[in-house]
Amino acid sequence: MDLLEPTSQAFRLLFSGDPELWRIIWLSLWVSLAAIALVAAPSIALGFLLAKKRFPGQRAAVVLVQALLSFPTVVIGLVIYLLLSRRGPLGSFELLFTPWAIMIGYMMIAFPILVVFTISAVQGADPRVYETARCLGADRLRASLTTLFEVRFGILAAVVNGFGRAISEVGCAIMVGGNIAGLTRNIPTAIALETTKGDFAQGIALGFVLMVVALGVNVLLALLQGQGGLK
Amino acid sequence: MSAPLLALRGVRKAFGRRLLFEIERLAIEAGGAYVLVGPNGSGKTTLMRILAGLDRDAGGVMSVHDQDMSFGSYPEHLRRSIVYVHQHPYLFHTSLRHNLEYGLKCRGVPAAERARRVEEAIAWAGLAAQRATPPGKLSGGEKQRAALARARALEPELLLLDEPTSNLDRDGRAQTLALLAQLRDERRTVIVACHDQEIINLDGFARLRLEEGRIALQSG
Repeated sequence: MDLLEPTSQAFRLLFSGDPELWRIIWLSLWVSLAAIALVAAPSIALGFLLAKKRFPGQRAAVVLVQALLSFPTVVIGLVIYLLLSRRGPLGSFELLFTPWAIMIGYMMIAFPILVVFTISAVQGADPRVYETARCLGADRLRASLTTLFEVRFGILAAVVNGFGRAISEVGCAIMVGGNIAGLTRNIPTAIALETTKGDFAQGIALGFVLMVVALGVNVLLALLQGQGGLK
Repeated sequence: MSAPLLALRGVRKAFGRRLLFEIERLAIEAGGAYVLVGPNGSGKTTLMRILAGLDRDAGGVMSVHDQDMSFGSYPEHLRRSIVYVHQHPYLFHTSLRHNLEYGLKCRGVPAAERARRVEEAIAWAGLAAQRATPPGKLSGGEKQRAALARARALEPELLLLDEPTSNLDRDGRAQTLALLAQLRDERRTVIVACHDQEIINLDGFARLRLEEGRIALQSG
């Protein structure tokens, strides 16, 4: 197969500002970013509690969240589909086959990543952080936020990984979004579709964008870590 | 005669069946400087943590200004009047200034007053040259001095310092000893848990010996 022609065509599409292509890119970006923005705070808070508090069933809760990490995304898509379908309990909201449905899916996919990464970061924190904050007069909430700030690069890694998983996810997005052109077609679903149609140019262009996004957020994370002066 | 700042009655700490110590009676007078000495494993750090409210699992009665308190669930004003500095103090990975003003922010001290107290703390600890150094890059002695200055800036009623000269080089020890002598001269109430003979021999420090489960005030 000749790769040169579809690749050069892909870059022409990208840099000519092809509206359909850029609509797909924009949809992917805003839905993924919004999903992470909405799910990050509660997931990080839950991760902190699971890492710091001892309560009956805590271990089981951690195992459950860890198990969610390896849940197939199509199963998550199926669950959301059943919940949002017309006869489902949330059918009246008419969210199925809209970007909102994809956003809910992304939130569910990113949730265990954020929680597990946060647990790992907080458990890896120096135990003196929380005690020092308390000894200096911080209330529990402030001491908890101080601990999270001390492990901020671990938390940032959680957010970056959650975002990366969401923006590259395909199974759930197809099931609950329907891959509708101009409405719910995003980068991974478009790549899947265009490739099956034999239109490699758009697939290559979108794949290139995904790789740039992945590289960009990881370079940003590395730069922030470098500025932090941490070991 | 005024009530002591802090009094312990029948304070008991055990790990399972093993009794670590039982303190029948101990009074800490306001403005007094104390060294807490005793062999390894006698419970010095544990006692300090109990006093700081970090260890709730102790029996007996502790009173502050004649008011009985329950361990580990101090009212907010008491929790903020006792400051404990770890043996290896932790400095937040932010900036020296942020570390010094952290507790002041927790107490709602206005910005102008915070700035004044931070500058005073930096001067007190002799850390002017390290002002821009990230806390993670300070030497052991500088970290210890920063932690002492951070605690002192809060003007607590009781300062608890756990082995403040352990793992310091000669210069670090000398500078820390000088700061301890200053705390004594400023009539801060301070208890220093230590093995360091130079601290133990500092003038004006009363000696509390914790050994074989008992505590005794040895000299003033």
